[in-house]
Amino acid sequence: MFRYRVIYAKEGPARYISHLDLLRVFDRAARRAGLPVAYTQGFNPHPKMSFAAPLSVGTEGEAEFADMELTRDIPVADMESALAGSMPQGLRLIGVSKAPEAAPALMAMVDRATYSARARLASPLQNEELAKAIEVFLARPQIIVERRGKAGEKKLYDIKPGIFAMSGSVNNDIIVIKADIKTGSSGNVRFEELLAAFLEESLLPLQGRFVLARTGLLFKRS
Amino acid sequence: MDLMDQVLPLVRKPARYAGGEWNAVHKNWGEVDLKVAFAFPDVYEVGMSHLGLQILYGIVNSRPDALMERVFAPWPDMAEKMREHKISLFTLESQRPLRDFDVVAFTLQYELSFSNILYMLDLAGIPLRTESRDGEYPLIIAGGPCAFNPEPMADFIDLFVIGEGEEVINELLDVIAGGKQKNLSKRELLLKTTEIPGVYVPSFYHVHYGEDGAFFKIAPTDESVPERVVKRVIKDIDQVPFPLRPVVPSTEVVHERMMIEVLRGCTRGCRFCQAGMIYRPVREKERGTVLRQAAELVRNTGYDELSLVSLSTSDYTPVQGVIKALVDEHAANGVSVSLPSLRADQFSVDLAKEVQRVRRSSLTFAPEAGTQRLRDVINKGVTEDDLMAAAGAAFREGWRSVKLYFMIGLPTESIEDLDGISRLAREVLALGKRAGIPRGRLKVTVSVSSFVPKAHTAFQWEPQTPFGDLKEKQAYLSGMARDRGLTLNYHDAGVSFIEAVFARGDRRLGQVLSKAFELGCKFDGWSEHFNLEKWLKAFKLAGLDPAWYAYRRYDYSDPLPWDHINPGFSKRYLALEHQRAMEGITTGDCRTGSCPGCGLCGALEIEPVLAGSERDV
Repeated sequence: MFRYRVIYAKEGPARYISHLDLLRVFDRAARRAGLPVAYTQGFNPHPKMSFAAPLSVGTEGEAEFADMELTRDIPVADMESALAGSMPQGLRLIGVSKAPEAAPALMAMVDRATYSARARLASPLQNEELAKAIEVFLARPQIIVERRGKAGEKKLYDIKPGIFAMSGSVNNDIIVIKADIKTGSSGNVRFEELLAAFLEESLLPLQGRFVLARTGLLFKRS
Repeated sequence: MDLMDQVLPLVRKPARYAGGEWNAVHKNWGEVDLKVAFAFPDVYEVGMSHLGLQILYGIVNSRPDALMERVFAPWPDMAEKMREHKISLFTLESQRPLRDFDVVAFTLQYELSFSNILYMLDLAGIPLRTESRDGEYPLIIAGGPCAFNPEPMADFIDLFVIGEGEEVINELLDVIAGGKQKNLSKRELLLKTTEIPGVYVPSFYHVHYGEDGAFFKIAPTDESVPERVVKRVIKDIDQVPFPLRPVVPSTEVVHERMMIEVLRGCTRGCRFCQAGMIYRPVREKERGTVLRQAAELVRNTGYDELSLVSLSTSDYTPVQGVIKALVDEHAANGVSVSLPSLRADQFSVDLAKEVQRVRRSSLTFAPEAGTQRLRDVINKGVTEDDLMAAAGAAFREGWRSVKLYFMIGLPTESIEDLDGISRLAREVLALGKRAGIPRGRLKVTVSVSSFVPKAHTAFQWEPQTPFGDLKEKQAYLSGMARDRGLTLNYHDAGVSFIEAVFARGDRRLGQVLSKAFELGCKFDGWSEHFNLEKWLKAFKLAGLDPAWYAYRRYDYSDPLPWDHINPGFSKRYLALEHQRAMEGITTGDCRTGSCPGCGLCGALEIEPVLAGSERDV
């Protein structure tokens, strides 16, 4: 088997492709590209592909990662050109590289992610006011959010340890908030819940909703 | 953009509205004269599984002067958000409101979707009734099987297309483009379109009712308009455009596969079946065409399943050879072949065996009736021996789950026929046990629908069995079939009742639809939305009795509200078929060369076309 790492952006209409559907979309794109995708054995074979970290439906991904296994060794440049021309609108190929077969699963490698949120302000806001609001927010000993357990029961969870950085800026009537947060199987922080917790406290004068983007995925140092 | 950023994050399954799928066509709005929206009156997942949409989408978008975009019925959560944000119903490709289009083309696939057409027009800010729309609004047109009795929708639709659309859509768009250039009024344009065979413009016909309130006649109000509109039919199914670059959804839809239509029409002549009548004559695609189209679809879509679709694929003359060739060519790339419907016989099981080398889902057979007597009445050419041979073969070949489709309330049905259903189901179950299938694994699912008399069938004169009796019949069947491994499903008798009313309805039902829409009826094909009480209230408000429509027995001599639609075969033939049904006499398959005399080939100057059956070419 030959393993490839695909970096792509998920934007425009593709933001609304769910994580579950993404595997199917990539499988079809790879088939259209004529790539010799490797499949699992068994009753319901599925393509050997994995994604670094699920992205919430509606959130843009500026640089997302997927690993794909092929049954033949294909030059990276050939794979890039074939795949780039086979993706639906909004899935934009950034690059392909070879990944060592022994490399750990992408899921296990991703540790942190950076996000940005953008919205229109309903009334003016000074950069200093925003910086102050973020400072106060981050100074809280705990930042408690509510989550649903497997049985649908409500659970309280402190996301503070998973927030590594947060900043904001205002340019005319556009506000942008950025954050660097924990991602992965343990201690994961969802950017939406961070924003919601911040908004609850700071009462920003927004016009409409924040538009979200994951700007980067950060790998653990190994 | 407001819609993408502000609204879609708030609704369930936003991919339904996002567009951008593979093979979606985005044309430059300013460079195209004619803008057509294809409107499917159900959710995205249903509409995107419909071959007719892909066919017309391909044809219209291949014209340099026209574009076609898609729109589906938004789920109520989306509709609510759209109203809140003042977003008018829009197409997926350009996200423009329907009002900006020249033509909005609805497909009428099932009667229970009629309410959704009103729902969609309303969301688009387009007045519902044809007389309330001047030339500033798009032309609202409709086609599909339910256009063969267009009258219940006649108040809302400017123009119906009767029959197969591949050729007439181009003729129609040419006339509309010409009308636009000449600045014709809506009336002038509509009048012009009536020169196209297959086009029915209801506003040029007046309906007369008798003193007893029954339909009396429908007649043109303009002498240039034809008294009867003849259906359109494609002569050369091999050459007609077929969508080889279908839109591939990015989210899960009902049918996740490539579709190749291998034949059109069906020669079996089941007397309850409208599709079997209105899609006559049978026309098969050549084997080479199917293989060529399959190879292109595989390249262009990336799907891993190829379905050979038609009303009766196991009747396709070269079916065995074609399946073998397709499997040989594409199996190595992980593409499997599937058949959507199977005849209940050994041959079909052999075919199923061929196609289902990997995946083993359940096999479905449709004996439709429980006794040979009733199967002869409905002309379902399946014997008990056929069914048992098919089910036995299926179990021997490793299937553990078999589905059986039956209908209750068929004309002449008696208690013996109901007993026959549970007897057959039990015998199939017993076959499975004898074949050694473990008790926990063996599953026979019996799906029971209620007979709905349809226009242009031998049973068009027959009443539907009253609602209460259908419920009793369902209860009777449930009481008999309690064996382990046997599951009984029923279609909602209330849904079948409303379906029957509209299937044989007249123009007055437009009032009922208006009222039903005002009462909030929508998505009536969905059990969680269908509300019989609201429908009954709508009838009451409109002053019409649904039972009068559903339970009426017509005489052969009675004028029928769909008499002005000419399906090609003769009404006399239907009457003959009806008489033969009542006498329990079956009618042969016209495929065998013995012509039952429906009259269609002469009337439409067409002939059945069968593909060569040679194994290898």
